[in-house]
Amino acid sequence: MERNRAISVNGISKRFGKVAAVDNVSFDVSEGEFFGFLGPNGAGKTTLIRMLTTLLRPSSGSAVVACCDVARDPAAVRREIGVVPQAMTSDLDLTGYENMDIYGRFYGLHSRERGERISHLLEMVGLTGRGHDLVATYSGGMRRRLEIARVLVHRPKILFLDEPTIGLDPQSRHVVWDFLGKLIGEDSMTIFLTTHYMEEAETLCSRVAIIDTGKIIALGSPDELKAGIPGNDIITLTVTEVTQAISGRLGELPFVHKMVIEETTLRAYVDYGARNLPALMDEVRHAGGTVLSATVHEQSLEDVFIHYTGKSIRDEEAKKVSFFIGAGIPQKLGR
Amino acid sequence: MVRLLAVIDRDLKKFRRNPVVLAMSVLMPIIYLVILGNSFQGKLTGLPVAVVNHDSGPQARRVIENLRAVAAGPETFSLSFMSDRKEAVQGVQGGRFKAALIIPPDYSRRATVGGRPELGLFLDNTDGISSENIRGLISAAVRAARNDYVPIRDPRDETTLRDIDLYPKVDYYQSLVPGVVIMAIFLGALTTGAFNLVMDRFLGIDESYLLTPLSKSHIVTGLIISGLMITTAISFFIFAVSMVITGIPLSRGVEKFIPLSIVIILTTLCLLSLMFVILGRIGHPRVVGILSGFLNVILFFPSGAVYPVASFPAWLRLFARINPEAYAVDALKSLLFKNAALVNVAGDIAFLFCFTAATLTIAILVFKRTL
Repeated sequence: MERNRAISVNGISKRFGKVAAVDNVSFDVSEGEFFGFLGPNGAGKTTLIRMLTTLLRPSSGSAVVACCDVARDPAAVRREIGVVPQAMTSDLDLTGYENMDIYGRFYGLHSRERGERISHLLEMVGLTGRGHDLVATYSGGMRRRLEIARVLVHRPKILFLDEPTIGLDPQSRHVVWDFLGKLIGEDSMTIFLTTHYMEEAETLCSRVAIIDTGKIIALGSPDELKAGIPGNDIITLTVTEVTQAISGRLGELPFVHKMVIEETTLRAYVDYGARNLPALMDEVRHAGGTVLSATVHEQSLEDVFIHYTGKSIRDEEAKKVSFFIGAGIPQKLGR
Repeated sequence: MVRLLAVIDRDLKKFRRNPVVLAMSVLMPIIYLVILGNSFQGKLTGLPVAVVNHDSGPQARRVIENLRAVAAGPETFSLSFMSDRKEAVQGVQGGRFKAALIIPPDYSRRATVGGRPELGLFLDNTDGISSENIRGLISAAVRAARNDYVPIRDPRDETTLRDIDLYPKVDYYQSLVPGVVIMAIFLGALTTGAFNLVMDRFLGIDESYLLTPLSKSHIVTGLIISGLMITTAISFFIFAVSMVITGIPLSRGVEKFIPLSIVIILTTLCLLSLMFVILGRIGHPRVVGILSGFLNVILFFPSGAVYPVASFPAWLRLFARINPEAYAVDALKSLLFKNAALVNVAGDIAFLFCFTAATLTIAILVFKRTL
């Protein structure tokens, strides 16, 4: 079934000095699949996408993208792919139309073909009326939509999107999701997306690989990944103090499959969370604790991440954002 | 070809939409011409000189008359007569005077009877150009004072040197024009071509074309060609304006348009390619800022644009032999001032061509297609 593989990655690694940004990663993506890479900033997503799109040479391992090896035949790979990098790369001094037109010329498209394609894509992303304005006058959301439309001018076989909605407000994010949803419906394109938004991966991707510290820690459809962790709901309790007695009593309850404690927060993987919440709170009170707040939610990919790493993806973001602004910091250092 | 034209078109569009860069590229070399021309060619005037005369004899009077003639004619000096020698010397030390001339009481008597007459001249030699001028003029005034008659005819045994200028007179201001054109080319080559790549890299937008099928040579030659178009247009404009400002007949430029164009285009290509070799892997415009001053000094000053190469020490002359700007200045001067034909500057053109071919090849080879 080699023919159906759009991307085939075999033990790929990238080291910057002693730091392994991507560490022996292997996976396959089938043609027409919407594949997601989920992980916090600094997990290695951008490094991986840069290797797959020929911007970085792997330290070891190999990858075949659109039937060509990224290290041996990068020019052939570049002809078949479209890439939306994490940073905005459109020229501010050019209009939206000019940005797309020049991009089309980079791929050797002829004038008429470019004109038709650009008009269609501008309409698709809702920028028809702004196409001849300078990109410098666009909002962040408009610019991101333009960048996605731009890489579709040459009808790539595989579309790579590196954190396509980072920095966008929720409304703009939903506009981009809707647009990507349309793409899946209209073209049989393979889409490879990296994100640290669980909702994005869950909404868009048919399969998701979860990556942390350069390694894949879980891979499957969102439902498969969630099915792989115990229980079906998560109860999160905030208490005054998590004592030995509290954790001990809760751990003995038959409907509690797993508990993760972070300071004064208790996260319990349970069956039927809404029904079992009162019993759980009673146990805390009997153990001498006071419940300050309680929430019940269905398992999400965030919970899958916590299950495998013992830490929250949101906490990881908060820690890293204060040190690294934007994508690819380790890569820049490694230049 | 479509791809190469797209790279050129993108760069030209961006340049057109930055009128400040365009205006600066045109104005800077012209301002340079005006400042350099006026600061170096201007005569020294009004240098304050103190004179302390303790001698009332005829020789002292003649010296002072000659000095007054300089002060009244070319106005190189402004003389202040003082009686206190110490005050005059302190005036030089304090910066009030550039020099103090002391005429001792027995100067005229010694000059008349042949008793080794001496004058004291205290100079502020921290300002070398002014002090040498003063020294020369005062020496001349003293020598002239000792000739107490004017010869009716030249002595028969004295050789007369009749000098013949081979070319029309070129004043200092005009002689700077080739240098100003080279300066315009240098600035153009520095702010287009490779610099746009540095800016794209700095802004992170280089990924947008590194991810496309553009080859190394598309990117490098495309940026060089757009830089060539911009820089050449600016250089021709500056050339014409400089000729008008300095009074070089425009007809001379028209007569030599083809060889001048060849030299300007080749020099531009040469410097654009050199910039690509130097800046091709730089990712921050600050580095370009630091390098620009250094490159300007090492390329422009040893080019002979301001001062003749013959005045350089041996090691600097050696550098001038591999400095493309030196060949460009030589070619432009020959075409503009010596009425030379294309064949007369073939050597300069051959060097510029070889230098361009070598640097362009290196630029494409060392250009990094990945991050």
